[in-house]
Amino acid sequence: MTGTGPGDIIVATPGILPLVLLILAMAGALLVVGRRRAAAKRSGHSPEQNWSVPVVDGASQGQSLFHRWDARFKLVSLLGLAFFIVATRSLTAGLLALGLAAAALAAARIPWRRALRRLLAMTGFLAMFVVILPLTAVVQPGDTLLVFPEIARLPFNLRGLELALSICARALAVALLMEPLLATAPLSTTLEGLTRLGVPAKVGQMILLAHRYIFVFLEETRRMSTGMNVRGFRKRTHLETLRVMGNFLGMLFIRSLERTHRVFDAMQARGYEGEFPGHGQFQAAPADWLKGLFFIALGIALLVLDRLWLP
Amino acid sequence: MHISDGVLPVGAALASGAASLAIAAWSARRIQGEELPKVAVVTASFFVASLLHVPLGPTSVHLLIPGLVGVLLGRAAFLAIALGLVLQSLLFQFGGLTALGANALMMGIPALICGWLFQTFKGQARKRQVLVGGLAGGLGTVFSGLILALLLATGGEDFFGVARLALLAHVPVVAIEALVSAFTVSFLLKVKPELLQARDALHRES
Repeated sequence: MTGTGPGDIIVATPGILPLVLLILAMAGALLVVGRRRAAAKRSGHSPEQNWSVPVVDGASQGQSLFHRWDARFKLVSLLGLAFFIVATRSLTAGLLALGLAAAALAAARIPWRRALRRLLAMTGFLAMFVVILPLTAVVQPGDTLLVFPEIARLPFNLRGLELALSICARALAVALLMEPLLATAPLSTTLEGLTRLGVPAKVGQMILLAHRYIFVFLEETRRMSTGMNVRGFRKRTHLETLRVMGNFLGMLFIRSLERTHRVFDAMQARGYEGEFPGHGQFQAAPADWLKGLFFIALGIALLVLDRLWLP
Repeated sequence: MHISDGVLPVGAALASGAASLAIAAWSARRIQGEELPKVAVVTASFFVASLLHVPLGPTSVHLLIPGLVGVLLGRAAFLAIALGLVLQSLLFQFGGLTALGANALMMGIPALICGWLFQTFKGQARKRQVLVGGLAGGLGTVFSGLILALLLATGGEDFFGVARLALLAHVPVVAIEALVSAFTVSFLLKVKPELLQARDALHRES
């Protein structure tokens, strides 16, 4: 079939669709149960809410080519690479990028468990694409359609599936790249590198302060939530829960604002004039340049490959 | 819901990044230099608030509260939200660095609109303030959903279905956000009404 119609129509045998759906449902249920169990194990108590937030620079003490790399070069070249990766279109380029990111992760000697957690946070959003895009992608000439007799009106477009998978591959690749970028130096060093690159110093300071206070407020939230549970509060789907949550938020904001004023006063009392003293030493060695050029060249190569040779 | 990397066409990602940068700079201009640490600390509390899960039938949703942030921080809200998103991508949620601009637009613009709406229409009566606060909270989510759908639609015709679904997914959350925001505003009116009177809560009443 040529011209305006779809390229191929494959009709599946009846009975395949329920089977596929059943397998998908079982896999999904297993995944959810596994995540719940893992989350409960990590937080040690209530299985419904996991408050723990991993530390951003958790692997900053290691030894690897990323750890020894000047933060300025690391930021510019890995961010550049990330933009080259999201500019690609084909599934093959996406998978190549994913392999590249995984190799970088291995070279940085970052535990897979850490990186996996980043990926888990994105599963919901990406799953939406995998499920929806094959069913809603506009049929173009040359598309292969898979038709299940049970839902003949909703053909499954393989080009849509490929599109969704390429999105997933790029998203996962960039997410994995964040680990070598951010976890291989103390956060203050990374942010100082950002400042040296011309980003206003205030931005780095704000990120550093906010990052610190997140953990303070998490502790506060945990305390408040324990108090509520002790008094018999259980979350359910009804108005009372929402009222309690509203009050809870209000209390959190009031406490944080009061703390804000106190923190600010204390900082001024210690001579804060809008700057933090820096500690990092930034000296560009030839190796820094080489690594930077290497990653940018990889990004360009990937994009050229994607636009010129890959379908 | 946030946009992850690799979804938007690279042009849309770069353009929204540039737009967010400009709006964030505008949002920061109002804050005096030395007061930036205050924004940072308040941002941390919003970040924590966004981790709260509200049960909804068999599942649960987490709060976005763009409307509420706008109500409390006014013009500084955009900066706070952009900062919060940087932290989210730093900490655990999304890679998101290339989609940061898009996400900042999606959450920050509703916050600005809702903050303005609240300050303009809140009036004096307590009931009215609670009502307007709730509406602002709900509208914040509606606007977020709309901007998300628009951004997804930049991907071309293939993405219209996903955009529609993403918009639809915001519908149940709207009611929850509206109610929680109304309750929060009501609580703040009782406990610390001056937070809602000033154009933004960062300036200490002296």
